[in-house]
Amino acid sequence: MVMLVENGFRSFHPYVQICYYLFIGSLLMYFNHPIFLTTALILLIFVNLSHDSGKALKKWIVILILMSLIIILLNPFLVSRGTTILFYFRGKQVTLEAIIYGITMALFIVNILMMFVSFNVILNGNRFLYIFSKFLPRTAFLIMMSIRFVPLFKRRLDEISDVHHIRGMSMAVGSIKNRMKNGMLRLQIVLTWSLEEAVHTADSMKARGYGLGKKTSYIPYYMKKQDWAWLVTLCLLFALCIAGGTLGYGKLIIYPKLGTLHFFLIDWIVFGCMMILFSFPLWVEGRERLRWKF
Amino acid sequence: MEKNRAILFLTVIVLFILLLFSFILFPLQHYLVLSVAIIGMISLLFFKRFERKKVKAREIVILAMLAAIAAIARVPFAGLPSIQPTSFVIITVGLVFGAESGFLVGAVAAIVSNIFLGQGPWTPWQMFAWGTMGLSAGLLRPLLGKIWIQCIFGFVWGFLFGWIMNLWIIVSNMENFSWEVFIGVYASSFSHDLSHAICNVIFIALFSKRWVKILDRFKRKYGLLGGSVGDEGSV
Repeated sequence: MVMLVENGFRSFHPYVQICYYLFIGSLLMYFNHPIFLTTALILLIFVNLSHDSGKALKKWIVILILMSLIIILLNPFLVSRGTTILFYFRGKQVTLEAIIYGITMALFIVNILMMFVSFNVILNGNRFLYIFSKFLPRTAFLIMMSIRFVPLFKRRLDEISDVHHIRGMSMAVGSIKNRMKNGMLRLQIVLTWSLEEAVHTADSMKARGYGLGKKTSYIPYYMKKQDWAWLVTLCLLFALCIAGGTLGYGKLIIYPKLGTLHFFLIDWIVFGCMMILFSFPLWVEGRERLRWKF
Repeated sequence: MEKNRAILFLTVIVLFILLLFSFILFPLQHYLVLSVAIIGMISLLFFKRFERKKVKAREIVILAMLAAIAAIARVPFAGLPSIQPTSFVIITVGLVFGAESGFLVGAVAAIVSNIFLGQGPWTPWQMFAWGTMGLSAGLLRPLLGKIWIQCIFGFVWGFLFGWIMNLWIIVSNMENFSWEVFIGVYASSFSHDLSHAICNVIFIALFSKRWVKILDRFKRKYGLLGGSVGDEGSV
C-alpha cells in the first residue's frame, strides 16, 4: 500500500484534499437552492465515479434513495408551515413550501453523505491522520496505534472463538443472555491477553527513543507547486461563493412564502464558481486522462 | 486534581448551556455549523489537555488499546444486531481510569470504529456522545460504587446516547422545525435506544465487577493513569 503510485486527485497533498471537502461541505450547508443542490449532487456522483468507478457508492445507493424518498414524502405531512396551501390532509394543511423544503432537505442529506463516501475513499488512514498530526501529534498517534490494534484484536477474537467453539460455547445458538455472556467473555479474554502486552509494546517504544524528538510521519507528504496553485484557486472560489451567498444569491427563501426560483446574473456567477469548485477532482482526473492519451 | 476536575466539569456545562441558549435566543440559520463547532471545541479542549500533560508511553499504549477494544466490541456480536458493548467498555474505563481517560477512549473509539465503518456527519456527534459517557462515568465515580446504581447509569446513557445522535438530524433542519418532526425522529429511534439501554444494564450487571477488577489491578500494578506505584518513564 505504501509503494502504491498514486495519481490524479489522490496524489494531492492531504491539506488540499481536506480543504476541498471542508469547502464543499460548508457550501452544501450554505446554499439551499434546489438547482444548486441538484448540480452538486450530479457532480458528486461523477466525482465518486472517478475515484473507483462507483464501487464505494454502490453500497450506499439503496439507503440514499430510500432515505430521500422517506424525507420527501413525510415532510409535507409533518410540517404545516408555509402559506401556499395545496390541500388538506386529515384537517392539516399540506403546503407547497413544506414539499420544496423536504426536497432540499433530502438533497442536502444525500449530498453530505455522498461527500463522505468520497472522503472515505480519498482521505483514508494515513492521510486522515496526517492532517491532525501537525497540531495534535499525540492524539493522532493514539488514534493511529488504536487503528493498528483493531486487526490484531480481530485475529485474537477469531482464535478465541475457535477455542470457545470446541468447548461448546457458541454465539450462534442458545438464549440471548447466554450468547451475550459468551461474546463478552471473548472480549474479556482479549482484554486480559492484551493488557500485559501493551506494557511490553510501550517499553519497547521507550527503548527505541519514543518521545525524544519531534514526531515524523511514516509517509512524508510535500506541498508541490500544483498543490499550492489549486489550494489558492479553491480558496478564491470558496470566497466568491460565500460572498455571493451573504448577498442572498444561491439561496431560496422557503418559509414563510416560497421565493422565486429565477436565476439572476450574479446567481449564474456564483453557480459557475460552485461548479468549478465541486468538480475539482474531475478537472484533475480529466487532465491526466487527456495527457495519457495524447 | 479536584480543582482541575471542577474546572473541566464547569467548562462542559457552560458550553452546553451556551449551545442551548444560542439555539433559543438567536435566529441564526447555520445551526449545524454552529453545533459542530461547539462540539469540536469541547473535544479539542480535552485533546489539547492530553497533548500538554505529562503522559507515559505506557499510558498512551493502554489508552489506544482500550479504545481499540471498545471499537471492536461489536465484532463478537455480529450475529446479534443492535447489541454492542462499546458503551459498556467506555463506562468501565471511565470508572477505573477517570473522567479524562474516559473521554479520550470514548472519542477515539468513535473515530477508530468509523475508520472501518465509514466516517460521516455523525462522527463528531458519536465522539461527543461516547466521550461524555466516559467523562460522566469518571466524574460520578464516587456515586457509582454499587452495581445497581451503575445499571441505572448505563440505562440512562443508553437513551442519552441515542438522543444526542438524533440531534444532528434535528439541528441540520432547524428552519423546518416542528414538534411533529421532533417527536417523529425521537419516536423512530426509541426501540433502538431501549435495546441499547437494556444491553448496557445486562453487561454492567454481569461483567462490570470483573472488568473493574481487572483494570484496577492492572492500574495499580503498573501505576498507570492515577495509580500509585512507579513514576518512571514520563514523556
